[in-house]
Amino acid sequence: MNDYIVELKNIQKKFENVLVLKDVSFGIKDRETISICGASGAGKTTFINIMGLLELPTHGNIFWEDQNVIICDVKKLSRMRAKIFGYIFQRCNLIPELSVIENILFPKRIASKISVPDVEFAKELLRQVHLDGFENRNVWTLSGGESQRVAVVRAMINRPRIVIADEPTGSLDEKSANVTMDMIVSLCQEYGSSLLLITHNQLFAKKMQTSYILNNSELKPSDYAKSEK
Amino acid sequence: MNWCLYLALKQLFPTGKKFSFFSAMSIIGVALGVTVLFVVQSVMNGFQHEIRRTIVATQGEVRIDANNNILYNADNLGNFLKNRPEVTALARYSYGVGMLEYNSRSIFPLIKGIDLENEVKVVELKKFIKEGSLQNFDNRSIILSSELANQIGATVGNSVEIYSPIMLKALQTNEIILPKTLKIVATYETGYRQADENIAIVMLDTMQDLYSLGEGVHGISLKLKPNVRPEKFAFELNRNLTHPVHAASWQEINKDLLFVLKTEKTMMFFILVFILLVAAFSITSSMTISVVRKTREIGLINALGGTIRQCGVCFMIQGLIIGIAGSVIGVIAGALILKFRNDIISVFVKLCGVEDFMLKFYSFANMPATYQLSDILTLVTFAVAICCLAGMLPARKVAKIKPADALRNE
Repeated sequence: MNDYIVELKNIQKKFENVLVLKDVSFGIKDRETISICGASGAGKTTFINIMGLLELPTHGNIFWEDQNVIICDVKKLSRMRAKIFGYIFQRCNLIPELSVIENILFPKRIASKISVPDVEFAKELLRQVHLDGFENRNVWTLSGGESQRVAVVRAMINRPRIVIADEPTGSLDEKSANVTMDMIVSLCQEYGSSLLLITHNQLFAKKMQTSYILNNSELKPSDYAKSEK
Repeated sequence: MNWCLYLALKQLFPTGKKFSFFSAMSIIGVALGVTVLFVVQSVMNGFQHEIRRTIVATQGEVRIDANNNILYNADNLGNFLKNRPEVTALARYSYGVGMLEYNSRSIFPLIKGIDLENEVKVVELKKFIKEGSLQNFDNRSIILSSELANQIGATVGNSVEIYSPIMLKALQTNEIILPKTLKIVATYETGYRQADENIAIVMLDTMQDLYSLGEGVHGISLKLKPNVRPEKFAFELNRNLTHPVHAASWQEINKDLLFVLKTEKTMMFFILVFILLVAAFSITSSMTISVVRKTREIGLINALGGTIRQCGVCFMIQGLIIGIAGSVIGVIAGALILKFRNDIISVFVKLCGVEDFMLKFYSFANMPATYQLSDILTLVTFAVAICCLAGMLPARKVAKIKPADALRNE
């Protein structure tokens, strides 16, 4: 018994004959903030896809609340994803047919039903990312930074245990990137979510409690972090 | 609301827009197909209904004849039929081709001899009288179909001369035979060209005299109670009749025509269904492009807790919604076109200058149209099923997407 929310044990991932992850063991605890760096093509996205239950490893196990989720069916995995994780991608991936508030509430709609407190919570989150009054805006009218902040709010709507952010500021200018990153960290702290950040930016990596580097298919601790593990 | 249905509706009718171009085009495509099918089917039904009604109104529901032989015991047969509870009226008749002459113009119409008193109880002769009346109709008079009167240029009040084949045969042997001179007391028009074209009606006595039939007739036509099926009644009646006397329902007598009408309707449906198929293909094509375009979105939905299968269902629902919306609009548009069909046609014929042409080649002055709920339900079910199938193909494509690959998709 350990205090990890999700734990990966001896994960190996191969694409045809190419070994992408070799014997990776990793866990994330409650309210922990972790960054993962690595060169392009090092396998960072594959790693978080496995961590986020979007992809299964070739070998190894994934544990959530001491249950090995490798054996779960697609439906159960989907339910777990909705319950545990909030995702932020490099591209905001907002659904263009939905308004800002509809995009934010969409994960809630998938997980259950939308109630009045959910709408109030969405509005509160929008206020926290300085987008109050944007509720009914069409998403194609937003700037890149605004869109990414909407994606951040969407990731928080289910109050996830872990927020997985895959280069969330990669497509933003430096100023917007800093603002957005601060918002992600601050929202995770406020709502008690752990943060798993994939980034090339060493400054952002240093803001995390723990930092790892993915190199030669292996995940190793790095010295970017504020405190060593 | 289920999120699949919600997303399908939003993709067709996005927030901030009244509808998407894709959904508008898809719904219009299906609606056009349904409208055309609905209108054509209803008009075909209308023609069929009119033709059937006119046949019954001019021929009676069941006819008993002796296979072109003369029935000399028509009174006995008549008494037997009168006692049948299914029969409400019966009328004896005889018929044959004769030569009709007016103003040195000769024509060879089918002459029908009727027992007027009973005939009007079996067929709706009074209703079809165009000029003149039946009041003065007797042994020395004749009724002509409107087209026949036009052909010889005769009108009510004129007299025509009739020669029967027996008279014509006697003339060949140099016998002196005088034709029967009959005064035109009325002309009739059913609106159905086949019945209006070449028929003259005389009293049964006159016909018996012309054809030397004595008391004989060629057949008896029957009118049945409303709930009696003519085919069934004719079948039962034939069990009690001896050869060559035979009872035939109006459906049996006109089976070739009815078969042609039915085949015509089926063929028309088959041909016009291609409009719906073309619409369905365009839906499939647009949706398949949409699947490719939305691959990242599908990956995202999967990351948010939806399954790939549910994303596929979302595309199927879009097909279903397009099918339902297109069908409803199509049926409403079709009903409106049918309601104003005669106005639309009159504008069309005036613009094209084909008024005479229309009347000459189509049997009815007004375009008939009849629609039944079962026809509409069949059509709507068919359209919705085709659209669902159209949505299934992209849905299958979605099912093959791997979530992680979808998120990597650029």
